[in-house]
Amino acid sequence: MTTASPAVSARRGATLGWLRRLGTPKVIIIVVVAGLIGYLALVPLYYLIWGTFFDADGFTLGGFARAYGDPRVGDMIGNSLWFAVGSAVLSLVVGTALAYLNVRTDVPFKGLFFAASIIPLIIPGILYTIAWIFLASPDIGLLNKAIEPILGPGFFDIFTVWGMVWVEGLHLSPIVFLLMVAAFRSMDPSLEESALMSGASRWQVFRRVTMPLTRPAIVAAVLVMVVRSLESFEVPALLGLQNGIYVFTSRIYFVLRSYPPDLAAAGALAVGLLVLALIGVTISNLVGRSGKTYQTVTGKGFRPRPMELGKWRPVMGGVIVLYFFLTVVGPLFVLLYTSLLKFYQAPSAEAFASMSLDNYRQLFDISDAMTALKNSLALGLGSATLVMILMAVGAWIVVRSRIPGRQLVDHFSFVPLVIPGLVLGLALSFVYLRSPVPIYGTIFILLIAYCTRYMPYGMRYAVTSMHQISAELEESAQVSGASWWQTFRRVLLPLLSPGLLAGWIYILVVSFRELSSSILLYSPGNEVLSILIFEQYENGQFTVLAALGVVMVLTLAVLVIIAYKLGAKVGLRQD
Amino acid sequence: MPTGTSSGKAQEVYDRINGLTGDERTKTLVDLAKQEGTLSIYTSNTDLDKVIDGFEKTYPIKVEVYRGNSESVLQRVVQEQQANYNGNDLVETNAGELNVMADQNMLYPYEGALRAAVRKEGQADGWTATRFNVFVVGWNTTKVKPGEEPKSFEELADPKWKGRVSLEVGDVDWFAAMYKYYLDQGKTDAEVRDLFNRVVANAKIAKGHTAQGELLSAGQFAVTASSYSHTIDKAADQGAPVSWHPASGTPVQPIVIRPNGVALMKTAPHPAAAMLFVDYELSEGQKILHESFRVGSIPTADDPVAGLTTISVPEKEMLDNPKKWDALYEEIVQSGREVK
Repeated sequence: MTTASPAVSARRGATLGWLRRLGTPKVIIIVVVAGLIGYLALVPLYYLIWGTFFDADGFTLGGFARAYGDPRVGDMIGNSLWFAVGSAVLSLVVGTALAYLNVRTDVPFKGLFFAASIIPLIIPGILYTIAWIFLASPDIGLLNKAIEPILGPGFFDIFTVWGMVWVEGLHLSPIVFLLMVAAFRSMDPSLEESALMSGASRWQVFRRVTMPLTRPAIVAAVLVMVVRSLESFEVPALLGLQNGIYVFTSRIYFVLRSYPPDLAAAGALAVGLLVLALIGVTISNLVGRSGKTYQTVTGKGFRPRPMELGKWRPVMGGVIVLYFFLTVVGPLFVLLYTSLLKFYQAPSAEAFASMSLDNYRQLFDISDAMTALKNSLALGLGSATLVMILMAVGAWIVVRSRIPGRQLVDHFSFVPLVIPGLVLGLALSFVYLRSPVPIYGTIFILLIAYCTRYMPYGMRYAVTSMHQISAELEESAQVSGASWWQTFRRVLLPLLSPGLLAGWIYILVVSFRELSSSILLYSPGNEVLSILIFEQYENGQFTVLAALGVVMVLTLAVLVIIAYKLGAKVGLRQD
Repeated sequence: MPTGTSSGKAQEVYDRINGLTGDERTKTLVDLAKQEGTLSIYTSNTDLDKVIDGFEKTYPIKVEVYRGNSESVLQRVVQEQQANYNGNDLVETNAGELNVMADQNMLYPYEGALRAAVRKEGQADGWTATRFNVFVVGWNTTKVKPGEEPKSFEELADPKWKGRVSLEVGDVDWFAAMYKYYLDQGKTDAEVRDLFNRVVANAKIAKGHTAQGELLSAGQFAVTASSYSHTIDKAADQGAPVSWHPASGTPVQPIVIRPNGVALMKTAPHPAAAMLFVDYELSEGQKILHESFRVGSIPTADDPVAGLTTISVPEKEMLDNPKKWDALYEEIVQSGREVK
């Protein structure tokens, strides 16, 4: 070391100036958010990659051989793709149609309609699937019994790939619904009106104007849905196995079930999904990037005015009621009915005579039920809020900034979608058991797990909305002297709010069901509702489980309606 | 962070109590356990809640419980032990998982008169059985009329059961026990596989014993090949039309039984409370488990498997080579379907 020279102090001065420039709120916020996204994604990704490619002897590809080496893997991938694409298409059609009707037309009972569209998502997957078995099994299905005089026995068969597509597609349609609601809310109807004025028919307008404008949302929806269905195990396990229909994730189940779990093989399967997903994210950004095409929220003021259905209003009302009878009321009725029985049996005078509220009584006798409800609420509200705040900034980085490597933020935020819950649980417990900060054994480790798991959805919701907002609004705010933070808070956040709210509702709802990583990470006192569901499921009390399902649906439906009412008050005003 | 007591201190307590009997044992345990004040249990036994309630009413000790499936109980213990984090004093779970923990030297032997009373199969190295899973062939009594009940497992390969039988996708332990049983009976490997293939060709595969049991009650399945006896007994008690006892004659045999048990953690921060709990579960706790239709590890006067042929799971082999049985069952469950 030499003594301080003028050169050194000059350099120090330069460094300080550099730091000062970097020390603006904008840079700090961007760095913190990007850092958090990277950290949340990298911890489980590192654990997964390490476990996949390295064993005690060093580098290996054995996991790939075990994962893909099964002679039936071709069939499995075929079934998986059929199932995934089918479910994605079904949920896309259903979700988009419902969202369009809800936002862009004057259908009756909008609040109720909104909540009802979300209900399939609220019902735990096991319950929703078993409810469908009770409805549409060729042997015992109530629907089959009802139509037997007309169409003969066993008309519907839920134990087929089509049955799996039906259940999964309907169960996941709320994801699309929420995405599309946000997209339609931020759309300037003047474009559609001009098309109508120029003589286009309603259908032409929908196909040629409305749909293209929401393409970023549709691409995001397809992407999330395909990956979700490729990963789904509950529906294929309960419906597919009975007739020997195996999917890709059956492999993950088989390789993870014994001890030690074959993390390498599970990782190899996840890596396959990851590659697929990252290609999807890239495509979705290319689609969204093409300039101003989708920016419908511009400096020009508009009020998204609902279309008057006129004489079609009662017809659409009827169609909606029919749809809800089929997809929401049906399964919910089965749950409610089962929750009043001692064991499931087909409706009969005897069954009705045996009904009681015993299962609900038992539910409230469970010592941890209230703690679990409280914890689930806290975690759901906490993770939904945190994720959406982080992802609002994340989406700005990805869509608006010119920072090199910004696409990485998007890719990292998507990574957790393909990481099996068990692997996430193992990775987090591994890290936080060794961390000096006492996080293991507290509720915060669950919060970290939930934020990680739901980051991909939050990002899709936020990015999609960001694509619709024109940059000129921010530019004018900044020209008028607003700081970056003021612009973000006062201009962007309100405009993004339909998308952020939709993502928030989604995360709140699904967080109540998170089991695969919670089960490894919770500790006594931090029980969550999904753990109770699992216990009731393991313990053979299906009827109590049905009661729990009914209580969950009621609780979350109320929350969703409140959020919807509050949401209608911020952001874009509707007439 | 619960890392208090060093492992040496816990083992001192264990050794001291293991040598005591009768009132002296109980009195010493209660005194020490009161000083410790709390007890942390990791378990996959969903019927343990009632035992814990009874324990907390009897002794002034606060119990903290972590419940998960047996796989997550094992994962959690292994993760914590590897990080020197002593989260639990006691673990109560299935045989396979307990054997792994014993194998990795995480458990400490529990001795005493109560252990000596446990069924021989349940006095395992490093842990002690508290109850048995009893795998039985069950049926829906409206779908299978009296007199038509299956008499043996082999009978389920008969085409008349086509589409009416259900197997469970994760019952590798049951499968290994049956497989070994038929080999011991003089069948060749090929013959045993053929038998299972033909049963699978008749079968609808279910996931999870609870869903399987519920669907049996509902009539989706007529017969289940490997239900837990308590699943069926519980449902029958609620009035569901299910049974594993034929109208006349004896149940289908052999019956696979597999112990579930309890073990003391070598590094427990509350060793005396842990031992007191084991003593309680093997005495009062047995009655409480019985009320949940569980088969206790200490035989009683109304032993549900008395006089029936029972066989055990080849634990040593499953521990030494777990992937072999997993892979074989997976293959049979999947490929058996192609046998028409």
